[in-house]
Amino acid sequence: MRFVSSLSKNKYYLSGSDWVISALDYMMKKATCSGNMSQVVFILGFAADHQLIEDSLRRFAKELPVLCGNIARAYNLAPYWRIPQNTKEDLDIKVSHVENPSGIRLLLEKSANRPFKNENEHISFNLIIAGKQAFLAMAFDHRLLDARGAEAFLNLFQQYLTESNAPHVLQDIRLSSPSGLSEWMKKFYAGRNVNRKFIALSGITPDSLPIPIGKNRGFGFKIITFDLKETELIYDNACREAGYLMEMPYLLANVIQAVSGLFKKRGLSVSSFLIPVSVDMRAGKDIKQELFFNHVSYLFFQISSGNMDNLKGLINSIKQQMYEQVKSGFPKDLAEASFLTRIAPRPVLGRLLRLPFKGKTASFIFSHLGKSSYLSSEFIGEKVENIFHMPRVPVPPGLGFFFNYFNGQLNLVISYLEELIQDDEVAMLETDIKKRLAQVKHNE
Amino acid sequence: MTSKEIEDRLVQGIASITSRDKSSIAVDMPFHKLGIDSLGFVEALVFIEKAFKLQLIETDLTKKDFETIHSLAAFISKRL
Repeated sequence: MRFVSSLSKNKYYLSGSDWVISALDYMMKKATCSGNMSQVVFILGFAADHQLIEDSLRRFAKELPVLCGNIARAYNLAPYWRIPQNTKEDLDIKVSHVENPSGIRLLLEKSANRPFKNENEHISFNLIIAGKQAFLAMAFDHRLLDARGAEAFLNLFQQYLTESNAPHVLQDIRLSSPSGLSEWMKKFYAGRNVNRKFIALSGITPDSLPIPIGKNRGFGFKIITFDLKETELIYDNACREAGYLMEMPYLLANVIQAVSGLFKKRGLSVSSFLIPVSVDMRAGKDIKQELFFNHVSYLFFQISSGNMDNLKGLINSIKQQMYEQVKSGFPKDLAEASFLTRIAPRPVLGRLLRLPFKGKTASFIFSHLGKSSYLSSEFIGEKVENIFHMPRVPVPPGLGFFFNYFNGQLNLVISYLEELIQDDEVAMLETDIKKRLAQVKHNE
Repeated sequence: MTSKEIEDRLVQGIASITSRDKSSIAVDMPFHKLGIDSLGFVEALVFIEKAFKLQLIETDLTKKDFETIHSLAAFISKRL
């Protein structure tokens, strides 16, 4: 029997990936001070006109009631995002002025960890004005936007302000989706393939840092920016060591070596790391069609301790695992199979997600966003100097490394559950990763 | 298979990976300008294995070999 639901204007059926993200949100609210959220930060090279920014953002948000939606279940049991007719909530925008640059990081950390007011609030803004620079931070609920979607959302806002026919800009956004209650055999076959992969991966329990006792912890962030010259050097090194366009395996290999160094410093033995790496699954060129909700899947890399000291061997292992997973269609199967999880309530799914790896799930999380989906070099007529992301990482593992590229510069944000790692260890990771990535390497 | 035929097959594959129209893909355009990243690169290698029965992941491809569809077609042509 097939259930077919018509598309509805105020109902966006959640995909399996959306449902997993939602279960992680539930788990994070239980384990930490806030949910599965992130923050994208724009560094603006001007003393921002905060009233203009506030008014413009509020006007834009009013056009998009999806921003005030909430999760519900339909009569056919498929979960969906209930989109209200009108925008009920007023957009939360805080403006702060700081004299001391060290205060910026604290304010950014605070806004990245601040829980949303209620189940209908999914984005909030914090504008920090510091002398001739301004930092615009948009905290967003991962149930509504993924990282690329968040950048594209602000890109759309910029278009909305600059185009003469503003409502036209919003026309192509897709705000309805099929219920996904068909093609069951396809989903079951995908589920079988995913199950086999997880059984193979779960033979070894991944090593991870012990989670500190106590709830309601926030996340700390280390923001590392590489300048134009360093970025060019890193890309040259990646090309030389890993091959043309192989930045992701190169960056991941170096992060693995740095984390392995941290384990050694603590006297923890390492037998194996398991690292999920998010990949963008958007098919179309026009990101506007897939702006809201999650369009990601994952590659899983299992690295044994024997491979960790040899960079070349490590890179080859990552490349080989990436090749095998892409060839077998694993990321697509994972996205397809996750539709089967939607029947499970979030607390149950949260527990199920921990089963294969004896509660550990991963050693740390990694992503390399690559080229930004914010396409303009300006924001409200002024220059955007840099963009980076501050995601809160699911616990466990509570540790993540997030690279992105904007305006010729590579950024790395280390995100960690408070007290999972200490300040001196964060500094050690920073020094080690910088030294590994941005040192001049010569052909052997 | 001639180099031109290999180029045409590669254009088809890259168009599918990048969700672009075939006509927008120039054979002398560097891959990074076609919006290919590490994942897209690996997808291209998987496509090459399926289309030409050539496994290139473990070969030492240089930037020169893989910089454009034209240079890649020449590389594949030598290996076939």
